[in-house]
Amino acid sequence: MLFFDLCIQGVIQGAIYALIALGLTLVYGLLRILHVAHAALFTLGGYIGVIVTNGSGSFLLALFTSMLIVAVVGMSSYTIIYKPLLNRAPLISLIASIGIFIASEELFRIFFGAYGLSYINPPLQGQIEILSGVSLSHARILVVVLAIGLLSGVGWLAINTRVGIAARATVIDPQMAASSGINVEIIRYGSFFIGSAFAGAAGVMVSLLNNLVEPTMGAVPSYKALAIIVLGGLGNVRGALVASLALGIIESFGTIYVGHLLDRDSIAFAFLIMVLMVRPQGLLARG
Amino acid sequence: MTVIRDINFGLEEGGTLALVGSNGAGKTTLLMSLAGHIIPKSGQVRLNGVDLVDKGPETRCGLGVGLVPEGRRVFPDLSVFENLVVGGYSRPSNNQSGSMARVFEVFPRLFDRKNQVAGSLSGGEQQMLAFGRAIMSNPNLLLVDELSLGLMPSVVDECYKALEKLVKKGIAVILVDQNSDAATNFCSSTLILETGDQVWLGESSALSEESTH
Repeated sequence: MLFFDLCIQGVIQGAIYALIALGLTLVYGLLRILHVAHAALFTLGGYIGVIVTNGSGSFLLALFTSMLIVAVVGMSSYTIIYKPLLNRAPLISLIASIGIFIASEELFRIFFGAYGLSYINPPLQGQIEILSGVSLSHARILVVVLAIGLLSGVGWLAINTRVGIAARATVIDPQMAASSGINVEIIRYGSFFIGSAFAGAAGVMVSLLNNLVEPTMGAVPSYKALAIIVLGGLGNVRGALVASLALGIIESFGTIYVGHLLDRDSIAFAFLIMVLMVRPQGLLARG
Repeated sequence: MTVIRDINFGLEEGGTLALVGSNGAGKTTLLMSLAGHIIPKSGQVRLNGVDLVDKGPETRCGLGVGLVPEGRRVFPDLSVFENLVVGGYSRPSNNQSGSMARVFEVFPRLFDRKNQVAGSLSGGEQQMLAFGRAIMSNPNLLLVDELSLGLMPSVVDECYKALEKLVKKGIAVILVDQNSDAATNFCSSTLILETGDQVWLGESSALSEESTH
C-alpha cells in the first residue's frame, strides 16, 4: 500500500507543479523571459483563497475569485514590468522579475502579517477510501481533478480553436504570426491571464492542503518551477507537464527511500542535473 | 543606420514588380518595411488609398498585404491545415473553408499533405504552403522574398506557374528572386536597388533591350 500512497502523493504534487509551470512555460515561449515573479502570484492566490473562504464561507467562490484576481494581476505584471523591457536584454527582465518576487514577499508580510493565515473551518476535509487501506481527503482529490480539468481545457483550446492554433503559431514565429493577421499582444495577454489564473488555483489548493499561507510560500515553487520548465525543454508545454508529474513522483518516492541522504528539494535538483546530463535539451524538446 | 532611401514606385491591381539588386542592396528591408516589420523613418506606404505607415503587420494583413518571406518560415510544428488556418486568421471564420478550397485548387499537393506537420514537408511543398498561408488572407498585394532559394528547378517552375494564376486573379506581386532573370521575366516592371538607392525603375522589357544594346 505504501507504493500506492507514494504514487498518489506524487501525482498530487505533480498536479500542483503542473498548474504553476504552465504559466511559466507560456510566458517563456512567447517572450523568452524567465517569469520568476510568477510564484508571487501563486502565493497571492493562496491568500485570496483563505481570506475569501473565511469571509464568505464558500470555498468555491474563493477559488474563482482567486483565479480571477490573480489573472488580472498577472496581466498587469506584463503591462507594468515586461512590456517596457521587451527590447532590452532578457537579463534585465529577469532581474526585474526577481526584484518583484522579493518585494512581493515583503508586501505579503506587511499586508497579511508575518505568521501566515489559516482556514477557520478548513473545507473539503472528508475522507474517501479509494482502495482498502488507502483513503484520500476531498481536498486532495479536488487538486488532481482541478489540474486535469484546467490543463486539458487549455489543451483542447490549443488544438481545436482558431485562437489556440494562432497562439501556438505565435510561440513559433511571432513575426510571421503578426503577418498572418494575429494580434500578438492579445495572445500575450491571454497567456498571462490563463497562466496566472492557474497559478492562483494552485496557490488556493496548496493553502488548503497545508491549511496555511505564509509570505514565503512561493519561494520553493519559484525555483522548482524553473527547474521543471528546463526539464521539459524551455517553452515546451507538453514537456513541462510531463516534467511536473515526473518530479512530483520522484520527490514522493525519493523522500522515503533516499530521504535520509537528501532532502526533498535536493532530490528534485539532483534529478534535474541527471536529466540534463543525458538530455541537455530537456525531456521532450527535439534535439 | 539607414538601409534604404528615396524609393518611390506604384503598382496597379494585378501588377508585378521585380526587385533586383546585389546582396545587401536592401531588397528584404524594403519588403519587410512594406509588411510592417520595419518602420521607416519617413515616407508613405499606401494601399488602396489607405496609409499603412503607422499600422502594424497584423493590421496590414487585414488590409490586403500578404507576405511570403525569405526561407518560407512556415510554422514547422503545426500541420498544413493549421498553417492555413493561421493564414486566414484575419478573415471571419466562416470564410475559412472557402479560402482553403481555393488554396488547394492552386496547390493540390497541399491537400494531400493536409494533416502532415509542415516541418516534414519538402522545401518546395513548404514554399507552396507559404504561398497558401499568405493567400488565405485574400491579399491585394503579395510580397514574395527569394522565391527560388534552395528549391529544385522543377519546383521553381511550379511556383512561378502558381504565382501567375494568382496574378490573373488580380493580386499584385512584388518579387525578389536570387535568379534575377526569372524575376524580371515574370514581372512586367523592374526596380533596381544599389546599396539602398533606387537606381532604375521601368518596364522589364526595356531592361532586356538596354542590356542587349
